[in-house]
Amino acid sequence: MPDIAILLLLLTPLVGGVLVTILGKKNYAEIITISSASLVLIQVIFILSKVIHDKTITAFGNMFYIDSLGAVILLPISIVGFVAVLYSKNYMGHQYDMGMVDDKHIVRYYQGINAFLLSMIVVPITNNLGIMWVTVEATTLVSVLLIMLYFKENAIEAAWKYLIIATVGLSFALVGTVFFYYANINSGTSEDAMDWTGMVHNSKLFNPALVMIAFVFILVGYGTKAGLAPMHTWLPDAHSEAPTPVSALLSGVLLNCALYGIIRFRIVTIGAIGTAFSNELLIILAVVSIGIGAASIYFQKDMKRMLAYSSVEHMGLVSLGIGFGGLVGVYGAILQIINHAIAKPLMFFASGNVSQKYETKVMSKVKGVIKVMPMTGTLFLIGGFALVGMPPFNIFLSEFLVLSSGFQSGQFLAVSVVIVFLVVTFAAFLRHLIKMIFGTPAAEVKKDEMGKLAVIPLAILGSLVIVLGFYIPSQLQELIHNASVIINGGGFA
Amino acid sequence: MEPLQLDIMEISGAILLIATFGVIARRGFMDWLNAYRLQSIVLAGVTAVIGYVTGIWEIYVAAVLTLLIKSIAIPKVLTYVTRQLEMESKTETNPYLSLRASIIVSALLVALAYFFSQQLPFKSDPVVDIYLPVSMAQFFLGLLALVNRRTALSQVVGLLVIENGLFLFTLALTHGVSLIIEVGIFADILVGIVISSILLFRMSRTFDSLDVGNLENLRDD
Repeated sequence: MPDIAILLLLLTPLVGGVLVTILGKKNYAEIITISSASLVLIQVIFILSKVIHDKTITAFGNMFYIDSLGAVILLPISIVGFVAVLYSKNYMGHQYDMGMVDDKHIVRYYQGINAFLLSMIVVPITNNLGIMWVTVEATTLVSVLLIMLYFKENAIEAAWKYLIIATVGLSFALVGTVFFYYANINSGTSEDAMDWTGMVHNSKLFNPALVMIAFVFILVGYGTKAGLAPMHTWLPDAHSEAPTPVSALLSGVLLNCALYGIIRFRIVTIGAIGTAFSNELLIILAVVSIGIGAASIYFQKDMKRMLAYSSVEHMGLVSLGIGFGGLVGVYGAILQIINHAIAKPLMFFASGNVSQKYETKVMSKVKGVIKVMPMTGTLFLIGGFALVGMPPFNIFLSEFLVLSSGFQSGQFLAVSVVIVFLVVTFAAFLRHLIKMIFGTPAAEVKKDEMGKLAVIPLAILGSLVIVLGFYIPSQLQELIHNASVIINGGGFA
Repeated sequence: MEPLQLDIMEISGAILLIATFGVIARRGFMDWLNAYRLQSIVLAGVTAVIGYVTGIWEIYVAAVLTLLIKSIAIPKVLTYVTRQLEMESKTETNPYLSLRASIIVSALLVALAYFFSQQLPFKSDPVVDIYLPVSMAQFFLGLLALVNRRTALSQVVGLLVIENGLFLFTLALTHGVSLIIEVGIFADILVGIVISSILLFRMSRTFDSLDVGNLENLRDD
């Protein structure tokens, strides 16, 4: 039964991509991809309900393994995937009408989106860490293709930097993976030594020195892909030059997939050498990321680059929560993953509407969004409030949990530095945002929304941002709680 | 292990290193490509030797894949790309470090690779002892080629050398991960090369050169 469920889940985007290729028409491609993304969402919800009930699902022998940790990564992928595809119809349609892209590009775009979804889905459900590496590398390749959809100079530059830096970075992750594999072989494992479950089981037998080196490689490797500073340099370019729905997927969920790689290996690491080593490294990278995010947001002129740097900051906050450890910190970190995955795409979609309306991404040229597009403007503001951690929106709660766990674990220096950075981000981000949203728009800007499907995806995400601020469904709470237990090395026999 | 096997392993390791230096010490893209092709053929041979020594049949499959993809398919694709491109972009005229300096740096990096591999807590066995430092040296030299050159083509070659190093590293240390992962990695490389070739075309069309110094539009200031 789980075999069939997993097979169907993987087949859905695959068949979607194939159908788009065969039919090769804009209208068909849109309908097919919207249906494949919504089918993925439905199936993921079904699988998640199984995970809540059974704790873990294994399929095809030991090849696929979904526990609560995989589930909390899988859920945002399916939600944001669905919303991004919904948003694409209008956004790419507008680009098409403007002559930015032609039929061939649109087909290529929807092929890419299906392939992108497929590669991201495999990451949190595979048990084999080698396959995980292969699929993370595959996400790089697919997303490079999506970024190069436009023939602009900037897109070529962004795609090239992303391809080279992410590939070199991931080669470090492969070295780390091989080190762990080697340690597992030498602990006399009987099953496939790449399986995460077996690795955690044997982790006590691993050579501590080897595990330390291996974890550093993993952190540098997957950290590059997750956009942790100082390896983040490709991120603002790639995320700002991609078509907006792709930016939302890159920022909202792809970064989580890379972070997920670090988290999986961290669990093995703490099994072998305890928490101190990995926590310290994570906290250092996190503080640097949050600092760089804050400084870059302060000086930012480009709307999408600002959002990209905010992703660097939020990935830092997630690592910070995991680094502080304890049930509260890790719970906050996972909640932060989910909250960020909802709020960031909302902001990208809103900025996409704004940049299509004003035909610029430069923030100083955008004025009075709320007068021109009342719905988009309001949702833009809500998303912005959420991103900077203002109560009562969702990210406030997770940031609060992360910071308070820092106090509990006695990391006063790190917490106080981070609070200073967060205050800077808060002020700078809101100043940029409020300047865009209020004020008098230029007379030639036509006052209407970009279209129904340019607002509905935002409204879906916006309502999630508001609801998750004061109410988390008990099923989701249980998933996050179980995932936190797994990350802390418990709950695994 | 027989002395003949040891000899073969040592000589093949030396050829791999020399071929890697070929990438560092030459200016022309075709020279790099030839060095890479030589390296990949030797790598396929080494893979087969390790397969013979360890008696795992999956390693033979990896050897065949290495021969087909890395020494035939990838050089073919890249040769095709360079034929289509402007002539002047094929040679590296202005690396950050001069050729002489980069050879000295490379020699130091090789020494560093041998030093590191002695420090790492691995069980001693001839395959590991001979090939591990070579693989690390390839990794380092690939990184050097990547950061030291200005043309986009040489960055691709740098990536390929890094990848060969990783392949040898994995093979020497673990005698190959399972076949499905190997196939996945090969597929990733091949697709990566195709994508970077497309990007190279666009870059030469848009910027009229392959100098990565042109890629400086996107910055925060």
